[in-house]
Amino acid sequence: MSSLKRASTAPPAPKPPVHFAPALVIADNAALTGTNLISIGLHTIIHPRAKLNSTYGPITIGSNCIISERSQIGFQNPPSNSHSEGVFIENGVVIETGAIVEARKVGEGSVVEVNARIGKGAILGKHCKVGALCEVQAGEIIGDFTVLYADGMRRVDRAGIEDLKLKMVGRQTEILRKLIPSNPTKFQ
Amino acid sequence: MAEFKPYTYFQCPCSDNSVSVREVGGANPAGQEETDEDERTFDPRAPRANYSLYPLEHLLYCEDCHQIRCPRCVLDEIVCWYCPNCLFEVPSSSVKSEGNRCTRSCFQCPICTAPLSVSSTEPPPEGLGAEYATVSGTYVLNCSYCLWSSKEIGIELDKPNSVYAQLAKIKNGGEPLLLPKERRKALEERREAGEDGSHIPGSKEEQELDAESHFYNLKSFYQEQLSDSSPAGALGLTGDYGYGSPGALSRIMGLYTSGALGDRKSKNKSGTMREAHDALEGLQITPLSASDAIARLCTSGWEGTASLSQRREQPHNPRFVSDLRPVANLLRTKRSKRCKTCRHILSKPESKVQKTHFRIRLVALNYIPNIAIRALQAPSAPSGLLAPLKPTQFLLTFSNPLFDSVRVNIATPAHTPGRFGSKVTILCPQFEVGANTDVWDEALGESGGKAGSEREKRRTKAEASEGQGQAEAGKIWERGRNWVSVVVEVVPASLRLDGPEFLKSEEQRRDAGPLREDEDVLEIPVFVRLEWEADVAGEEGGGLATGNKEKEVREKRELAYWCVLGVGRIAQD
Ligand SMILES: [Zn+2]
Ligand SMILES: [Zn+2]
Ligand SMILES: [Zn+2]
Ligand SMILES: [Zn+2]
Repeated sequence: MSSLKRASTAPPAPKPPVHFAPALVIADNAALTGTNLISIGLHTIIHPRAKLNSTYGPITIGSNCIISERSQIGFQNPPSNSHSEGVFIENGVVIETGAIVEARKVGEGSVVEVNARIGKGAILGKHCKVGALCEVQAGEIIGDFTVLYADGMRRVDRAGIEDLKLKMVGRQTEILRKLIPSNPTKFQ
Repeated sequence: MAEFKPYTYFQCPCSDNSVSVREVGGANPAGQEETDEDERTFDPRAPRANYSLYPLEHLLYCEDCHQIRCPRCVLDEIVCWYCPNCLFEVPSSSVKSEGNRCTRSCFQCPICTAPLSVSSTEPPPEGLGAEYATVSGTYVLNCSYCLWSSKEIGIELDKPNSVYAQLAKIKNGGEPLLLPKERRKALEERREAGEDGSHIPGSKEEQELDAESHFYNLKSFYQEQLSDSSPAGALGLTGDYGYGSPGALSRIMGLYTSGALGDRKSKNKSGTMREAHDALEGLQITPLSASDAIARLCTSGWEGTASLSQRREQPHNPRFVSDLRPVANLLRTKRSKRCKTCRHILSKPESKVQKTHFRIRLVALNYIPNIAIRALQAPSAPSGLLAPLKPTQFLLTFSNPLFDSVRVNIATPAHTPGRFGSKVTILCPQFEVGANTDVWDEALGESGGKAGSEREKRRTKAEASEGQGQAEAGKIWERGRNWVSVVVEVVPASLRLDGPEFLKSEEQRRDAGPLREDEDVLEIPVFVRLEWEADVAGEEGGGLATGNKEKEVREKRELAYWCVLGVGRIAQD
């Protein structure tokens, strides 16, 4: 009801320029805002109510990623330095519910769990895991295979099953494709 | 600073330490004791007070002693042991023999303490008929939280069940580990093979013992030594009387027989004991130089070093992450609680592990009024601190859980104890709190019995005159069905110590040290005395005042105890 009212009173915001790869899934009520380019790769799933904000810099999301509901990608407020590189998310990354990602780069196969937060300009290596509610400070550089868990604890994961995990993410996207109705034309 | 939350702690009467001190002295007549007790003020800041103050939720109530019972004055009895992870009830006999850990497949992550799960190292089969394919290959323990895997310490399992038994046979790195029993067998074989001690103590296999085998070897070695050294028949006892006892007995006997002679005699008789001299006998040489450890530290770095909390979980106190082992889940207990004085059961859980409710649970919440504190006016300072020397009013709300109305008397010292005595005045120290009758009872009672409605009328009248919401001396602030609010006025003390000498209290003159931790918290000791008339027959029904057809026997009851009200922090000016 309220959203209807809002839609009728406020003039529709200008759509950000987008570049969608084929076979991606973007839910009808995902929110894409901003003025910079948002490009999303192959087979990536954007859940309903995921928020992508390119007001302060472009957003690039690789293929086979999962961006969950209520997660926020892109800078939430102006960056301190005038030029910003935007947010770059590599392939096979899972951003879980409510996570805020303002990182400069999120490496391949990383997982950002529920309500975790990655600060501005931080660089997350490949196959990292940021545990639920964990925080990466702005500008921090996290090496490959790092696991952030509990209250600021870190360790390096040497299990060596990253290929298996990437496969699992791929399978998850396959299932989600069947479950989430996609409407990319709305954003183009 | 975190926001201050007002609290009420109740003192359990069992910790009335002044009484016990007097009992030791013994000579005081009863009369004097009484006056002493009346005059004595409970000091919530006394070091011992910490051990007797509890939130109401932590207290039990004994219906036979009519007294509050705290964790210190109840007896715990274990109803059952169980694993919190698989909810398997472990019989007490196996707790005694196997220890207090789950011996099935429940393990904690050595890194982060999350539960570990067993998973196959092979990728799950795909394609047609995948569900019929047998999962082959080895298994590992996985932590889904920090992604630790037993692969990191080189442990892989052959089957997904009975992990405990499997782990007991594998060392970190995958080498097989001899069970203490097997070790013993190997030891005996070795003994038989070469009695002359031809084994080389420097060989690696012998040097490294895990904690369990180490203990087992030492124990069996010294047991043997003891039975060898104290000759059988010295006191008509054989060596198998129990290790240690023949020697001890002969020494004690030596005290009674003619001193020196007997001593020498027994000394001659007993052979000399030697110490363990190799790993098979349980000798473990602690490396004198830490160079090995330092070298390892250099290579593995910070990431490879176990944290203090991780080491604490492990029985063998490892230094490095690669030495950590999965921790078997600690068993938990269900306990019933008895009153220490009369041995009646106060709390008894259902004995089945899966059931969470209680058969008996006499919690104090159902017997004594709860006291809630609320500031009457919104705090003037935005920080929520109490302004010193400025009268502040608080509302104390007593809610009665009993089915009889209760007369409440409350008393406080005029000044709170301690260096900074704040002035405290209770505007209405005497009042009656209505019974905790069912809302429906009241409605039904009105139509049925006239007395009920009359009482109701009287009460509404009283409410009309009393419940005006005025902070007036001798009047209650507000009244409800089973609750009453009264106003207490506090003049917080100034926390300054540099004021003029004549303004200082005696304690301040004696001790002019800086403000100590939590000394700025305003805590008011309150003595609460309850009086009510209980329905004796109804008492048996677990505190429920069931309607009695016979003539009701009313009994006068009284309960008195100290409380501490933490109302807020005083601002430092
Ligand atoms: Zn007690
Ligand atoms: Zn278990
Ligand atoms: Zn873990
Ligand atoms: Zn009792």
